[in-house]
Amino acid sequence: MSEYIVEVKHLCKEFPGVKALDDVSFNLKQGEVVALLGENGAGKSTLVKILSGVYQKDSGELKLFGKEIHYLTPKRAQELGIAIIHQELHLCSHLTVAENIFLGREKVKFGVLSNKDMNVEAAKILAKLNIDLSPETIVEDLPVSKQQMVEIAKALCFNAKILIMDEPTSSLTSKEIEDLFAIINSLKKEGYGIIYITHRLEELEYIADRVTILRDGRFVTSMNFKDTTLPEIISNMVGREIKEKYPRINCNRGKKILEVRNLNAGKLVRNISFDLYEGEIVGFAGLVGAGRTELTKALFGANPIESGEIILDGKKLNIRRPIDAINAGIACAPEDRKKEGLCIKLSIRENISLPNLDSLCNKFGIVNRNKEKELTKSMAKKLRIKMASDLTNAENLSGGNQQKVVVGRWLARNSRVVIFDEPTRGIDVAAKVEIYNLMNELKRQGIGVMFVSSEMPEILGISDRIFVMCEGRITGELDISEATQDKIMEYATRFEKKEINSRTA
Amino acid sequence: MQEKRKASFFKNIIAIRGMGQVITVSSALVVMCIVFGIINPNFFSAKNISNLVRQVAPILIIGIGQSFVLITGNIDLSIGSLVGMSCMISATLMTKGVNPWVSSLITVICCLGMGLISGLLVSKAKLPPFIATLGTMIVARGIAQIANNNYNTDSIGEGAKGFRNFFYYGRTLGVFNTIWIGLIVFLFFNFILSRTKTGRHIYAIGSNIEASKLSGVNVVYTTTIVYIISAFCSTLVGLITTAIGGLGTMDAGNGYELNAVAASVIGGVSTLGGQGILLGTVVGSFIWGVLNNGLQFAGAPVAIRNIVIGIVVVVAVLIDILVRSGKEKSAND
Repeated sequence: MSEYIVEVKHLCKEFPGVKALDDVSFNLKQGEVVALLGENGAGKSTLVKILSGVYQKDSGELKLFGKEIHYLTPKRAQELGIAIIHQELHLCSHLTVAENIFLGREKVKFGVLSNKDMNVEAAKILAKLNIDLSPETIVEDLPVSKQQMVEIAKALCFNAKILIMDEPTSSLTSKEIEDLFAIINSLKKEGYGIIYITHRLEELEYIADRVTILRDGRFVTSMNFKDTTLPEIISNMVGREIKEKYPRINCNRGKKILEVRNLNAGKLVRNISFDLYEGEIVGFAGLVGAGRTELTKALFGANPIESGEIILDGKKLNIRRPIDAINAGIACAPEDRKKEGLCIKLSIRENISLPNLDSLCNKFGIVNRNKEKELTKSMAKKLRIKMASDLTNAENLSGGNQQKVVVGRWLARNSRVVIFDEPTRGIDVAAKVEIYNLMNELKRQGIGVMFVSSEMPEILGISDRIFVMCEGRITGELDISEATQDKIMEYATRFEKKEINSRTA
Repeated sequence: MQEKRKASFFKNIIAIRGMGQVITVSSALVVMCIVFGIINPNFFSAKNISNLVRQVAPILIIGIGQSFVLITGNIDLSIGSLVGMSCMISATLMTKGVNPWVSSLITVICCLGMGLISGLLVSKAKLPPFIATLGTMIVARGIAQIANNNYNTDSIGEGAKGFRNFFYYGRTLGVFNTIWIGLIVFLFFNFILSRTKTGRHIYAIGSNIEASKLSGVNVVYTTTIVYIISAFCSTLVGLITTAIGGLGTMDAGNGYELNAVAASVIGGVSTLGGQGILLGTVVGSFIWGVLNNGLQFAGAPVAIRNIVIGIVVVVAVLIDILVRSGKEKSAND
């Protein structure tokens, strides 16, 4: 039994309104790579955060190196030998490789930094990992893949025994991935335990010994990779029945509203073509980072469009800034409501009126306060926004109500297309249903609804048609009658075969 | 019924965002006045009060300009130099015999040009506002120096008497004209900030620039406008400075940009943007003025005044932060 270096039993973790982890068990042996799998929101990152001391468990048992741990802080976790390699790198880009590796534990002689010692030692660690890098290089000048290796070297330098890698390959080319796998396999031989999180199931065969699958915060299964197959893994990841928490209304499909042809905008919007009709909700599914948000931003004029056509009601649009899209009748409720949606220091009333000021002002640009009050009142009533007063700061609203404000302010305009980007993220079930009802209402009014979500059940529950994206391309279109979670997952993981040396970072 | 209405009236006033800080600071101001009044009974003489308010008006005006910039989350370091530039250009033109009003107009145009440049550097070229306005600050000071070939000007002469009275020495309805100018500037810009679309956009940009862009706010335009407003306020103060001395001095307005920041932040304008009201700036500039005036009356040297004002700036903001974090805590409980 004591061979396990990580042993988790019956772990529970609850956030307000969400049970993030519910009776989860997880084990890791020395010299083993365990792939932690699951959909977005399955609880992988919560588990990892508990292991690294960022979150505290509510209940359950956590043993590290055979010792029961009750209270874990990030610092304690690090001392015990747990290191995370995040998807986004946490390096000081202006410092050298060695300076980064020794950051916070610099070697000092008589109060003076001994750079030479640090460089020598960093070089040793890098050599051990077979990484061809000078410790004196400035991190900024390195490609992402090499930066990642620096992170790994840094972790090992902290005497880490357990490495947690969160989607480490998402920004690497195939040659770089090979190098990374070589490092992982050599670390494995040296007895390190590795927890590997990925969405790219085809990577598993090169490194994984075991897979542990989570779904909706619950432990599904843990099996030896050799004894299983990819389809079995996929069905374990998504195999869940959908309950009737998704109100659906049927409308007749009307005329075409929006047509997008060969749209290109940056790395994550490649040659996108799709259309949108009156009386339908079109879902956009895919994994995180598939380019769905980037697509909405391009359509809304927030990201520059390189080429392609956007046709609304038969008229070609020239969208260069958000105001162009707004004037044309496209509205967008962005993904990150705190960062891009709300002015949290402003009141609810001001937030709702912000995009509508043109209609609330007279020709001298003076805001008509009575009109503004009325607009806020009617929106709050329509959307059932719960608030003490419309002068309350948006900051003080619950997530669901904040989302209603972000969405609600667009409804005062005569929009033709409304884009919802992850509208239900982080809000409770009741508020979710209200958002769905709102989308259905728009659909009934003949407004085109574009619905981006990473939660498959809601995509399947609400949309009439589903486009699946992967790496900036649309890899599949499914009518709701033929769509299943497995099919979406298959399209969503249809990565382009990366040719060796095809891209250099 | 009457009482109920009264209660809701007060409630409405308190509900105005930023009013909390204004009320705290106002009470501090009242206490300060009482203390100075006890130390020196002359403090409350009509003469001293009207002088005090006249002294405060220029600080209030540049404070308003700086507040606009701060609320968008930026900063304007060029204010002091623009005061100098405005003072030197107007005085030089007047000593050359140009009509004072024509001189003023030319001055305004030149200075607004500098404001436009600052604004475009920040909004369009996306320079950090600290750097952009550091540049325009140095350039504007240079222009102030070059205006009269590196000399302060001679007296602007008898012909400019009307000009000097209009901006400083004259009275209307028994009140100094400078005070009227300060009042009008306050009322006008307060209206812009609290009642117009542009004003709303200014708060929105300071609160969340991404969300504002995605809501169709023209960020480049609004940010530029804000710098032009700030430049306009500086120009006005430059003209007042010319009127006071009756000549142009090259180092007029030295350090004003930071006095303007002080007046703003004492009154509750956040340097992080999105927060603050101009009424706060009014109270802030009065605290600055009362401290200066009162300490002077009490016989404190300039050095002591500086030390006190410096401490007041830090303490005012510190109290605000403490109050806010206390509120947050109680909200979370």
